[in-house]
Amino acid sequence: MKLTKEEIKFIDNYLIKNEVKFWDVRLELLDHIVSAVEDKMANDGISFNEALLEVHRGFGNQFIEFGVSKDRIFEKGLYQSNIGFKKFTRNKQKELGRKYRKMTWNHLKTKFLTFKFWLEYIAVILSFITIYQIKPELSFLIGLLVLILPTIYSAYYTFKDKSTRKSLNFAMATSSAMLVWSMYNLSYYILKENYENAASMPDGFFVVVACLFYPMIRTNIDVYRKVYEENKKSFSLKFL
Amino acid sequence: MSNSKLYKGSLTTIILKLLNEHDKMYGYEITQKVKALTKGELKITEGALYPALHKLEAEGLLDVEVAKVDNRLRKYYKLTETGTKETVNKLEELAEYIKTMQALVNPKLA
Repeated sequence: MKLTKEEIKFIDNYLIKNEVKFWDVRLELLDHIVSAVEDKMANDGISFNEALLEVHRGFGNQFIEFGVSKDRIFEKGLYQSNIGFKKFTRNKQKELGRKYRKMTWNHLKTKFLTFKFWLEYIAVILSFITIYQIKPELSFLIGLLVLILPTIYSAYYTFKDKSTRKSLNFAMATSSAMLVWSMYNLSYYILKENYENAASMPDGFFVVVACLFYPMIRTNIDVYRKVYEENKKSFSLKFL
Repeated sequence: MSNSKLYKGSLTTIILKLLNEHDKMYGYEITQKVKALTKGELKITEGALYPALHKLEAEGLLDVEVAKVDNRLRKYYKLTETGTKETVNKLEELAEYIKTMQALVNPKLA
């Protein structure tokens, strides 16, 4: 027994109401729920609502009928929770974080094995040194720009493409790219102790940090692009 | 249904074995296949299946493919090259475990 387009849309809205806001999480849940409801209706002979309720509970959510005594009147009510879906999303988030960290690390290792990347890296370092010798203030600005490049990339894709919005895959890829910024902040706070204030820190600091983190920044952008392309492919299939 | 805690540690091996026998499978299909193969003895819950699938995907043992099926999108899981190698190791580990348990529980058969 196949569900109609309207019934599938109903389940999708039910998931949205249960706070499953990421479309890439919803697509997996939706297919599972639709398959299970179809199966239960055909084999157990139960109604759409009963089947959906059984699947809702199967994910670890609650749906309880309760009664309370209020001023000698017995009032009945329904309680439903989305705890199972929340757990599902949290777990997926954790595993995606692991997946992207692993992917970044593997990309980084592969990059260092290519001659092309070494050439690019040496060219970047030489450019920084040249700019620093000509105009140290400019090298500071360029260094800062390189460090926030993954953030600029993320903002650009979010603006450019709808598939990146409310996507857990993309949110986690962004979060994994922020690691470079955290590492920069850490090095900044360690070095800051030796200077009176941030302004008194040498312009060369950003140059050194940008050169040091360049391979990581470059890898993050590659991972970004990969996640973006995979996501876009699924999104273009049209969710419903 | 038997004590599901006893099966818990073998869930990833079960998933890998099924995917090794089939080209690709989706979540609900895995639960139904396990139920059918064990004649209803083992029912994998949604709360246990998806964390295991996502973990295997994060470890690079599974690859994902999305396709449009009956007015919705379906996520298929399939083994990567590393996943195929790991399946062999996991099955050997499981066979060893069964042998050890056999020796402990029923020494005459071991």
